Order: sequence, then structure tokens, then C-alpha cells
Amino acid sequence: MPIYLLLSKRACVIIHVGNQKVEAMKEKTDVRQGTLGLMVLKTLDVLGPLHGYGIARRIEQISGDLLAVNQGTLYPVLLKLEQEGAIASEWGASENNRRARFYRLTRAGHKQLEVETRGWEQTTAIIARFFEVKAEDLS
Amino acid sequence: MSWLQRLFSRKRAENDLDRELRFHFESQVADKISSGISESEARRLTRLEFGGIDQIKEDCRESRGSQWLESIVQDVRYGLRQLRKSPGFTLTVVVTLALGIGANTSIFTLVHSVLERSLPVNDPSRLYRVGDQGTCCYFDGFESDNGDFDLFPYDLYLELRHSSPEFEQLAALQAGGSSLSVRSGSSAAKPLRSEFVSGNYFATLGVGVYAGRPLMPSDDKTGAASVLVLSYPAWQSDFAGDPRIIGSTVYVQTHPFTVVGVAPPGFFGDRIIESPPDFWLPLANEPIIEGAGTSLWPQGDEDTAWLYLLGRVTPQTNIAALQAKLTVKLRQWMSAHVTYTAHGGAAQIPRQHVVLVPGGGGIQRLQQQTGKGLRMLMILSSVVLLIACANIANLLLARGLTRRAELSVRMALGAARARIICQILTQSMLLGLIGGTAGVAVAYSLSHMILALAFPQARNMPVQASPSLPVVGFALLVSLLTGTLFGTAPVWLSSQAKAVETLHGANRSAGNRSSLAQKVLVILQVGLSIVLLSGAFLMARSLANLEHQNFGIETANRYVLRFDPQGSGYTAERLPVLYRQIEDRFSALPSVINVSLARYTPLDGNEWGTCIVQQGHPAPGPGDKCFSSWVRVSNRFLQSIGVPIVRGRNFSAQDSQASTPVVLVNQSFARYFFPNQDPLGKHFGLVSPKNSRAFEIAGVFADFKMGDPRREVTPLFLRPLSQQYLGYTDPEAVSSEKSSMFVGSIIIQFANSQQNAEATIRQALAEIDPNLTLFYFSSYESQVARNFNQDRLIARLTSLFGGLALTLASVGLYGVVSFLVARRTSEIGIRMAMGATRASVVSMVLRGAFWQVLVGTALGIPAALYAGHLMSSMLYRVSGYDPLAYTGGAVALGICAAIAGFIPARRAASIDPMLALREE
Repeated sequence: MPIYLLLSKRACVIIHVGNQKVEAMKEKTDVRQGTLGLMVLKTLDVLGPLHGYGIARRIEQISGDLLAVNQGTLYPVLLKLEQEGAIASEWGASENNRRARFYRLTRAGHKQLEVETRGWEQTTAIIARFFEVKAEDLS
Repeated sequence: MSWLQRLFSRKRAENDLDRELRFHFESQVADKISSGISESEARRLTRLEFGGIDQIKEDCRESRGSQWLESIVQDVRYGLRQLRKSPGFTLTVVVTLALGIGANTSIFTLVHSVLERSLPVNDPSRLYRVGDQGTCCYFDGFESDNGDFDLFPYDLYLELRHSSPEFEQLAALQAGGSSLSVRSGSSAAKPLRSEFVSGNYFATLGVGVYAGRPLMPSDDKTGAASVLVLSYPAWQSDFAGDPRIIGSTVYVQTHPFTVVGVAPPGFFGDRIIESPPDFWLPLANEPIIEGAGTSLWPQGDEDTAWLYLLGRVTPQTNIAALQAKLTVKLRQWMSAHVTYTAHGGAAQIPRQHVVLVPGGGGIQRLQQQTGKGLRMLMILSSVVLLIACANIANLLLARGLTRRAELSVRMALGAARARIICQILTQSMLLGLIGGTAGVAVAYSLSHMILALAFPQARNMPVQASPSLPVVGFALLVSLLTGTLFGTAPVWLSSQAKAVETLHGANRSAGNRSSLAQKVLVILQVGLSIVLLSGAFLMARSLANLEHQNFGIETANRYVLRFDPQGSGYTAERLPVLYRQIEDRFSALPSVINVSLARYTPLDGNEWGTCIVQQGHPAPGPGDKCFSSWVRVSNRFLQSIGVPIVRGRNFSAQDSQASTPVVLVNQSFARYFFPNQDPLGKHFGLVSPKNSRAFEIAGVFADFKMGDPRREVTPLFLRPLSQQYLGYTDPEAVSSEKSSMFVGSIIIQFANSQQNAEATIRQALAEIDPNLTLFYFSSYESQVARNFNQDRLIARLTSLFGGLALTLASVGLYGVVSFLVARRTSEIGIRMAMGATRASVVSMVLRGAFWQVLVGTALGIPAALYAGHLMSSMLYRVSGYDPLAYTGGAVALGICAAIAGFIPARRAASIDPMLALREE
């Protein structure tokens, strides 16, 4: 751990003690750009109304704890989806009886989910074909 | 939710977000606790995972999409708070802006509404004027040395109208214009401004009427009924807006006229003048008013030029070709008239020509008279704005530099640079807006003041003082730009530097390069101020020379009044009685010393002149200068204005109709017409050699200024009221001689100053004849002073601008010096701790200021000399290079700069070394 000694004219010492960040226990990937919205919609579709924390946990759970949902990404996405009309929110009581904001899928959200699901299925199918392709298949 | 709703529910959204995030946090902590971690550790870990809550919030706000507006609202609030926190700075900037914008806007408003104004008529772009000068009067058939023709006789007008189909309409309008007595019903006669116009006048301009009908070509025929059209303001003010006036009869100079119409409200005639016409009459009615003195051919002389021509051309007319054609017509017409061909005049005819100019702005006489002064004021006010901008730049620069530490801290804490610059911009805009609003108020009152000063006799003058929006916008834009540029630049620069460096020592320095910009600005201000100040001194000296020159007359305790015997129904036969009554009645007033009557009084702006022919001399040719002014006066005229006789005798009671016709001439007359001869007993006559024995010179009086006080005294002779010359045979000369017997001015001299002279005089006049209306009353001093209205206005405004410039430059210098002193506090503290005396500190600070003033002056003086050179034609008996003015400007600036520098210097000298060093 490096130690820097800075001398200022004020004649006092500031000792820099290095990075205190604790390493995460497990290697997690951040959610790929643009896919979090789809995950939120699908989660709400499957599980019904949920609050933000619940959504985050569920997504992590579904991914088998391979994904880490950052609050800094989640809430802007929720706001955006709400503004687009895909989800709606209202305040309600949580499991432990605290006031929490619950999000649910709207009709437009259902439609958007369907459209995006189809799009993703198509994309994955195409990508899958590319991964399976061998030279002799094309000859 | 629309973004607007979101803006207003911002507070709720913020609360919701906060609660939601807190819930998330707490839930995460709770989960950790339930998995067996202690609460404090759980909180610590969660906080680490969470990162900055504010960062998340900011991201959310951004995705709300209304952030830009929110931040503007925030910035405006923040800016207002900042401005309220530093009232001194705010006030200085706002006042500077208000004065800069105000001065500019008012001058540009005047320029706009006087110089660049179109007549309120239909399609002014197709109007063209034949002739381009504002010539009002002339003598001799040829109007100018270069052959330019502007005034036209009626006969020539008809000729041109018939021969040029390129003109859809060609109208003729009276070049002069006079006050005529108008009486309606049983009320007293009022003096109203009149203008004779051709019958197609309204059709040419494309102007209709508000009520009734306009003048028509059928009105402008010999023998047609006498009609007139009133202007809207005159109808409102003098006829109480009574609609029954249409079709009724009014008496103009006692002759009955039918009012046929009222012109539209915005219409003020064919030119911008102080007192636009109150009514328009057909040219054909002119002989009714003027009688035998008519200028209208064929009753009058065919070569009396008294009309301006204004025409509406058909579309696609080739103006150059039309101008050439009219010139040819003009020369042909002249060649057929003996006035122009006689005495070698024929050789002059090929040089005569007309110039066609766009007439959409009307007759540009006022514009030609005032244009030069207005343009000068325009330049001066722009310079004031420039100085104001430099001042604001300086203030903002200083402020930006002092805020560097604050900004560095904010940036170190994570504020976005764009956001900070945005805030500063907002603040500059706020300042600009506040200053601009104040500026409009200043402009409004200043333009009113200028108009009132420039045209004190204005009656329904068609010039508005309301500031024009484009001008306000322009001035605002310029100051905003300066503010923005100089407000933002230091921030930008300091944001480039590493925050740490700035935190370390930006505020501690012994002189530095960032103040170079400030010094340059001060130098610029000083230089420009010198220009304005010297200009102000020049104008002030010129005005003083004008006002305090020796006019040659006494004005103390004297009053001038005017009345109109002809308009009140007096005939020539009744005049001698009336004059005697007036002399007797006024002489009987307490403490009156002298009473005299005169056709015109010295310096009242009117003159009558003619060509004189000495006995035994041939008729003068076109190039010969034979012009002399002359006035018909009563016997005590010279005494009443305090002018002495230098040779011969004054008029006396012995000068009667039966005795020799005598005249008195001034010294200039004697010098000019009788060089090295004794003028006494010499004879001369008017216009033609056959009359050259008419008058005998009985005396010579001292020179005094009769007409334009800027010019040297010109030849002048006086003729007594008691002698009408009966030897003329030519009908025009007879009628002119007859009309010269109608004198309209009375001069009354009191022994001491009077409290209510006007009431006394009004009453005395009414006692003589209640029908005599007092047209004008003035003390002689103010009649003389009125000659210099515009000079005084220009001098005052120049002084005002000079003073403004001086103040602004001093404030600028003060600001820079105090700023430097504040930044050098610790340095000065150390110097004093090391033994520097107070005097040496003061001189050190002053030395810095002194250099800026010196460099500014060195640059300003040549610029001022050049400005003086440009102004020289507007100066009276002051050279454009008058050393006194330049010394005065430099000294005034030097004194102010010394004060502005000394105050902060003293502050520097009173720094306590201990406090200064501890300030770190």
C-alpha cells in the first residue's frame, strides 16, 4: 500500500492511505446496456407489482447472482419506463410494513414486452446460428 | 405527466425519489442483517455498495427530462441571491448599463424618427421630389451657385406637370408657410399654420381624409369656391373635434373659407417640422389671402419661385432619364423668360438643372438642418456605450477572478464545469435584463427631454419620443454580449487550471498577468473619455461664444410681442392711427421708457431682403452681390434696442410723407456699398435702376445682428413707418411696398425688471382693440436665447456624455485599483512589516494607476484631435484644435483619476501588517 507524504506550506501532513474499497466476494457483471429495461418488464410481468429493491433482488436472483443491479442504473430506467408509460407506480406497504413505491406493468408495457421479446428471440437465434456455423456447412 | 407539470411537481418528485432510495437502502441493510451481519457492518457495506446517493438522484433527475428547465430556474434564483448579496456591484452594473443603453437608445430613437422616417402615406417609395435642397428663400432668378433648382414658380410647375407623363401625379406645395388668423363663429381669432398646396396634393400622397373629403383638382381652379382641409390635431385642439365643422365657414385673415374635410390622424403633411400645417388650402386661393402681393401666376409674377414639387412616378420609371428631361424643360422655360436671360443671365442657363431625390421621407429640410448634430450625438452616445461596456467587462472580470477560489472548491467537489458556466451566464443575463429595463426608462425620459429642449415651440410635432424596439434590443444585445463574454472568460480560464493549483494560491499574488485585460480596459476607457470630454469642452466653449457674443443690441428689461393687424381686419388706411394708439397706450404704462414698432425684430428668425441699386449704377447681373436686408420700423426703434447712431441723424417726426424719403443704414452697408466714401446723402433704390434715386441715406447706425447670429453682420437698412414710397409703377412693387406698411412686432423697454409684464401688455393691447390677438410674447433675452436651442441641446448632451464617460472611467479605475490592492493585501502587509512607509505604499499603488491614465491619455489625445477636426464645422469661434479644450479634458480626467486611485491607495496604506499576514 503506497504512502504519499504531502508537504504543504501549512506545515501539516496529509497521509494518503490508499484505496479502501473492499473486493467483492464474487465476480459479477453489470447489466448490459439496454437490456435492464427488458428485464424489469419481464420481472414485473411474471411476478406482478414489485418495489424497486424487489425488482433488483429478483433480477439478481433470476440471473443466478451473475448480475449486479446497480441502483444508479435501476432507478433512472424505472423513471424512464414510467415516463414512456410502460409501467406505472403507486405507494403501498412493503412486506415489512414500510411505505414503498410499487411498480406494475401497464397494457402498453405488455405490448412493449412482447415486441422486445420477439426481437431478442430473433437476435439470439441469429447469433446462435453464427456460433454454430462451420466451414463445411457453407460449401 | 408533461414536463411542465413535472416542473411544478418537482418538490414532490424529489421527496418521492428520496424516500424510495431510502427504502431501498434500508431494505438492503435489513437483508444483510438477516443474513447474520451486525447492523453497523451491514450499513457500512450497503453504503459502499450504494455509492453516492446524490449521484443516483442526479441521474434520475436527468432522466426526468426537465432538468434543463429546473436548472435554469435554480440558476436564476441563485443569480438573484448572488446579486442581492453584493448590492454595490449590482447597482454599479445596473446604473452603468441603464445610462449606456438609455443614452444610446434615446439618440437612436431621435435619429430613427427624424432622419429615417417615411411619410405616413400610401406607397412612399414611388414618391420623388424635384430638387434636393432645403432652400427656403432666395433672391435673384438663379437659386444657387451650382445651378441646382429647388424652388419653382407656378407657371414652371404647370409646364413640368403637363410635359411629364412619367409622373402619375405631380404636386406643388408652398415652400414656406405662415401663421394665419383663423376665426370660427364668435370666438377670438387664433394663429394657425397654413400651407398652400396644389389640388392633387392628397391624391399624389395617396392620403384620404378622416372626415369630409380631401382637396381636389377642381378646388384648385381660378374662381373655385374657397375651401380648406384641417389637420386632425388642429381639428381636435382648436375646433374641439366638432364634426359639424365639415361644411361650415371659417374666416382666414377675415376671408370666408369652407371646411371640406379633416385629414387622417397620423398625417402631418409633406415634411417633419416643429409646427406642421394646421390646414391646407388650394394654391388657387392664395390671391384671396395675399391680395395684390400674390405669388400665383398669372395674377402674380410668372417667375416668383415659391413652390416645392413632389410627384408620384408611374412604376418602372427611369429616374435618371426623367431628371434629364426635366432639366431640359427647365432650361427651355428659362430661355423664354427675360428675368433669366437679361444682364448676362443667358450664359448661366446651361448650368441650371434639377435633381430628383426619393421623396418618401418628404421634404428633408429639418433633416438637413439637424442631421449633422444628430449624427454627432449618435457617435458620442455610441462611445458612451463602449465605455459602459468596458466598465461592465472590468467589473465582471474582477468579480470572476475573486470567485476563482470558490469555483475551484465547487469543481473539486464535483460540480460540472458546464453547469458553473451556465450559472455565471445566467447571472450576466439577469444583470443585462435589469440594466436594460432601467435603460428603457432612462431612454424614454431622456428622449422626451431632448425633444422638449430641441423644439420648445413645437405644436403637434410629428416626432415621438417612445424608444424604438430595435434600438433597445440592439443596445441590450451589445451589453449582454459584453457581460457574457467578460463574465464567463475568467471562469473558463480558471476551470482549465487544476483545481488544486487554484486552491493553493490563486488569491495570493504580487501583481499578475490576469489583470492585464483589466488594465487594457481602463486604458480604453480613459482614452475614450478624453475624446468625449474634449468634445464637451469644445461644444461648451462654442456655445458660450455664441451666447455671450456682442449682438450689438440691448435686451435687458425689453419685451417683444407680435400681433397681426391684417389678420384682424385692418386696412392700410387705418394703420397710422392704430400705430399711434399703440405707441401712446404702451408709453403710458408705468416705467416704460421706449416703445417701437417693427416689421421684424433683431434675432427673431425672420428677415426681408432685396437687391439694391445705387444711383448711377447699372442693373446688377446674376453674379453681382447686391443683397441687403431691410426693416420697416417706427422712429424710436434704434433707441428701444439700444443701438447708437454713429454718423448723421436718427429718424425724427419731421420725416413725413411730404419730406424726402430717408433711410438709415448699418456700418456694414456703408462699408460694402460705399467703400471709402461718405454714405450720408447718397441715394439708392430697389431692384431696378429706374428707382435708384428713391431713398437718401440720412444716418449710419452701429452694426447689430439681425438674422443668423452665427454669421457676420450683413448689410441692413431701415425705413420709417411714416414714409411709403409712391414712385413705383410696377404693380408687384406697389403691392409689396404697401404690404411692408403692415408691421407686426412691438418692442417695449421698461426702466426696471417687471413681474407680470405679459398681463399688463395683454390688457393694454385689448384696450386698444379687443380684436387684436397677441400671437407671441417673449422677453428679449429668451427671444435671443431661442436662436441657440439646438446648439445648447447639443452642448448639454455632449457635456452629459462627457460627464458620464468621466464617471464611468473613474469607477472603472477605482474598481481595478481596489481589486489589485485587495489581491495584494498580504504582499503589502509584508512590505510594511519589512519597513515600507505608508507614503511609499500609497505612491506604489498610485504609480500603477498613473501609468494607465497616462497611456490612455496619450492614446486619447490624437483621437480627440481627430474628433475636433470633424466637429470644427459645428463650432463657433473655437478652433477644432483648441488647446484649452484638450488641456481641460485631460485635467478633469486627471483629477478624477487621482481621486479614484487615491481612495484604494489609502486603504492599502492602512493595512495592518499583522492582520494581513494572518489572513492566510
